Amino acid sequence: MTEPIGTHGSRDSAPAPADGPAAGASVPTGHGVPSTSSGPGRVLVAVYGVFALAATARAGFQIATKLSEAPLAYLLSALSAVVYVAATFALARGGRLARRVAWTACSVELVGVLAVGTLSVLSPQDFPQATVWSVFGQGYGYVPLVLPVLGLLWLRRTRPVPEQVTSP
Amino acid sequence: MILPLAVVVVILAVVLAGWAALWAIRDKAVVLNQLWGATVVEAALLVQLVVAIAASARGPGPVEHGTFWGYAVASLLILPLAGAWAFAERTRWSSVVLLVAAVTVAFMQWRMLQTWGIS
Repeated sequence: MTEPIGTHGSRDSAPAPADGPAAGASVPTGHGVPSTSSGPGRVLVAVYGVFALAATARAGFQIATKLSEAPLAYLLSALSAVVYVAATFALARGGRLARRVAWTACSVELVGVLAVGTLSVLSPQDFPQATVWSVFGQGYGYVPLVLPVLGLLWLRRTRPVPEQVTSP
Repeated sequence: MILPLAVVVVILAVVLAGWAALWAIRDKAVVLNQLWGATVVEAALLVQLVVAIAASARGPGPVEHGTFWGYAVASLLILPLAGAWAFAERTRWSSVVLLVAAVTVAFMQWRMLQTWGIS
């Protein structure tokens, strides 16, 4: 699993060693708390990072230039930006406190996308301006709906096992 | 912003994404040749940025100023970060990250076209 990057090209790419941990298995960080940022977690951090960047830029731009047009939608944009940034850093960092932050961020995100998604479908007049969470994240290929679910599943999968902590 | 160059960027990024997807399916980590591919895409993005700066210095520039330049700068960061992770993560998941990065770059280039006012 620690094969360095090849210098010869695609033919020399090493197949995954059979004795390594299965792809997707959590990697211990040495404190009994599995890493949330390696393996599939890296993909999560990457996608969260893109959304953090996009949501922050979008919310910053909306609030700076036209907050009065749709204050509710734009403040929700800002909230989603904060949640994505928090989730990105918490998942990348790992550890007990960061896991708790990531749990909270993913939960808020799931509630947010479901609530805003439902409201934007039922009463579109209240959400004239699109947010990341409008219509369950339709404008972003529904990734905002899937992402918190994957985040929560990943946190569950990498949760610390008490036996590992006490074993010598 | 030139339309043909944008088409080239999108096609190159989609090809890179397909290559990375193939590697992810085969349970392989990113290889150096894919990073050379990412470098080519990055170079095309840089050329596009220089062209856009030159065009907006002379002509009207993008329709949606803030959004366009936001995408232009942010899209340059994506592939280098994915490339750096390819060294740190020597599993199939580095290929999935490269796939996500390449798709993101293609999407951003398309959004740059929209915010420039072409499509």
